[in-house]
Amino acid sequence: MVAFAFMFASIEDVIGRFAAQHYICHRTIATVVYLASRLRKPILVEGPAGVGKTELAKVLAGALDHELIRLQCYEGLDESKALYEWEYAKQLLYTQILKDKIGEVIAGAPGLKEAVERVARQDDVFFSERFIVPRPLLRAITSPTPVVLLIDEIDKADTEFEAFLLEVLSDFQVSVPELGTIKAKHVPLVVLTSNNAREMSDALKRRCLHLYIDFPDKEQERAIILLKVPGVAERLAQEVVDAVQALRKLDLKKTPSISETLDWTRALTLLNVATLDAALVDDTLSTLLKYEGDIRKAQAELREHVAKARAKASAAPAVAADKDVLH
Amino acid sequence: MDDTIIAFVALLRRNGVRVSFAESMDTFRALDLVGLGSRAGVKDVLRATLVKRAVDHPTYDHLFDLYFSGVGEIVKDAESRAMEGLDLDPAEYQRLLEDLARFLEAQGIGTSELTRALLRQDTARLERLLREASQRAGVQRIERTFQEGQFAQGLQQTLGVAEVARELQGISDALGAGDPDPRRRQMGRLVDRRLQDLQEMIRRMVRGELEQHDVGQRDAARMQQLAEKSFYYLSEDEIRRMKDAVTKLAQRLKNALAVKRRSARKGAFDVKDTLRKNLQYGGVPFKIRFDRRKRVKPQIVVLCDVSDSVRNVSRFMLQFVYSLQDLYAKVRSFVFVSDVGEITKLFEENEIHQAIDQAIRGNVINVYAHSDFGRAFRMFHREHLAAITRHTTVIVLGDARNNYNLPHEWVLKEIKQRAKRLIWLNPENRMTWGFGDSEMDRYQPYCDVVEECRNLRQLYRVVDRMVVG
Ligand SMILES: Nc1ncnc2c1ncn2[C@@H]1O[C@H](COP(=O)(O)OP(=O)(O)OP(=O)(O)O)[C@@H](O)[C@H]1O
Ligand SMILES: [Mg+2]
Repeated sequence: MVAFAFMFASIEDVIGRFAAQHYICHRTIATVVYLASRLRKPILVEGPAGVGKTELAKVLAGALDHELIRLQCYEGLDESKALYEWEYAKQLLYTQILKDKIGEVIAGAPGLKEAVERVARQDDVFFSERFIVPRPLLRAITSPTPVVLLIDEIDKADTEFEAFLLEVLSDFQVSVPELGTIKAKHVPLVVLTSNNAREMSDALKRRCLHLYIDFPDKEQERAIILLKVPGVAERLAQEVVDAVQALRKLDLKKTPSISETLDWTRALTLLNVATLDAALVDDTLSTLLKYEGDIRKAQAELREHVAKARAKASAAPAVAADKDVLH
Repeated sequence: MDDTIIAFVALLRRNGVRVSFAESMDTFRALDLVGLGSRAGVKDVLRATLVKRAVDHPTYDHLFDLYFSGVGEIVKDAESRAMEGLDLDPAEYQRLLEDLARFLEAQGIGTSELTRALLRQDTARLERLLREASQRAGVQRIERTFQEGQFAQGLQQTLGVAEVARELQGISDALGAGDPDPRRRQMGRLVDRRLQDLQEMIRRMVRGELEQHDVGQRDAARMQQLAEKSFYYLSEDEIRRMKDAVTKLAQRLKNALAVKRRSARKGAFDVKDTLRKNLQYGGVPFKIRFDRRKRVKPQIVVLCDVSDSVRNVSRFMLQFVYSLQDLYAKVRSFVFVSDVGEITKLFEENEIHQAIDQAIRGNVINVYAHSDFGRAFRMFHREHLAAITRHTTVIVLGDARNNYNLPHEWVLKEIKQRAKRLIWLNPENRMTWGFGDSEMDRYQPYCDVVEECRNLRQLYRVVDRMVVG
């Protein structure tokens, strides 16, 4: 029986421990995390870029005080990079030693057959764990302590790799032909993330709990900014959120994500900005948007927003700071 | 609850959400953990365990709301209407119900389960009775509006409404007997309207089922129609709605190409490389090297006709091209009418609809010129031939209507020689090729594949064949 040590007491417990790790966690997310830890099922997290999919796994490891083992996927990733490789150079070194020792080993062997058999017995030395370079999957399986295994951007890996992964995820054991079967001491808590570059197979999805993380709502995004950008003015945080959320409604090539919201806020905070104005927006927008076409579109939109915010602020200066300034 | 979940899973399946048996088992285990206390909680649990494709979320949300609040809400609505009708606040209403229960007991009047539930406003029981009867009566089989009456009748029979009506009538008579005090008269009014409330609940149940049926069906049917409709007649809005389908198609092409590439990967033993790599081990050939032919990413060059005669076709095709380009690094896209212009960068840097608009509204090349395939091909030959290598698949999208200009088919011949493959997709009916100013017959011999591609369904087929061939 494999020990299982990931336990949250309740959904509230997840929310609380995640908050302690500086992760603002919607109840939906907490529910899935809680279920995954209880049902020992992997979570497949999907959603647009930069909504905190990778961060979720990191925070999960932190919250449970587990080691985080990360497997970053890419096109062409194969078993040897994900599971283990033999360390050829070291093996070679040992063959040299073996060569020197071979005389001793076969000394006194009555015939060729016996000599060969004696040499064959040394194979064990040769193909032993000593020569294996463990890659993330094997490390996760053999870890003496419980781990969170993050399989990041699985959609970038090829479909064959997905099939291979499926086997690993279904029984958490791998067989190394020369060594036999290695079984997990602790079933890792697995988080797979996907940006939806391609649709994952049904088989994989069946094994996982599914979590779709979308862009956060205003309240949450504001909370994230206040948490992650020290020294940001409350009013600026609100203005940034209003602006970003308005931009997300436009048809953009690349919609700004939370990381970009944070980058932008950091840039503005470095410039000691307390409130947005049109010139500032023009100067700093490149931290928020990556494409020329998007920037042009956004400038037009934001200029209007800033103007409206101004008008409102001067109309009701006393409350402007706490209000939803742009709408 | 188990039956309810099983029925809900069946409902999801009917609406095209793929749910396996194992997944519904997960749902039960998960619900045990989280409990049924909060509706939102249950909704999260079911979503995480049953709905694994984000595209199914809207369907799921809609069905969940219909199914799980459906009956409950119907029952609650009936209750508030009764209160309103009698002009009572909830506390007064509750007291009236209690008085009525005492009266029935005093009179020794027994009632059926349904009547009792109605008169005590036992919401949970009402809900269960309605749901069970609805299942037994097969109301979920309803498909059309005109069947509402027929299914409502079936549900009434299964519920035993006639019996309820008789019982209510009896109670009403008992309440009205002799010279009733105002309280008894009030109770009488309550009893009298409960039958009406029940009928209303039945009507709404049936309507709800009809809507559940419709959600998935409607969308599927609409997509079906669009897939068959000729590109020529698509509206801009319809084209936009096909975006997901087109993206999937591009993905499919990519996945298939990736698989083919990998299976061709293990090459032959490479002597030179093996020796070189093993120098560090004193020439003992330890690391055996195989000739891993360089992993060639598929390269694609697309030439898309954007002349006025195929305007909507181009809009659609460019959507496909955009998705392709989004997926592969190595796609170069061109548009032509009588000039040719590259739009690769435009597509990289702009959002899809904006990019397409610019490409077909004359920002790249003059789109109001008369089509001249020959001239455009020659221009491509002069300026962009280097884009084509022996790894390139070239795709031409166009109707080959050349306004009787010179076709210059020698360009295609040369392209075919350089490229891995040359594919021509023509949005016109095959019957019309070669007639009038169509030069398709002249171009065809130089293409590896020529396909009629007039609608999404045909495009699917074309991609399928490319994947196999
Ligand atoms: N709920 C949250 N609370 C706090 N910070 C968050 C939250 N969500 C996202 N962030 C921050 O947003 C940034 C982006 O998150 P992350 O890199 O995890 O996104 P991602 O979804 O993995 O994106 P990609 O698809 O590009 O890999 C991180 O810096 C993270 O700290
Ligand atoms: Mg990530």
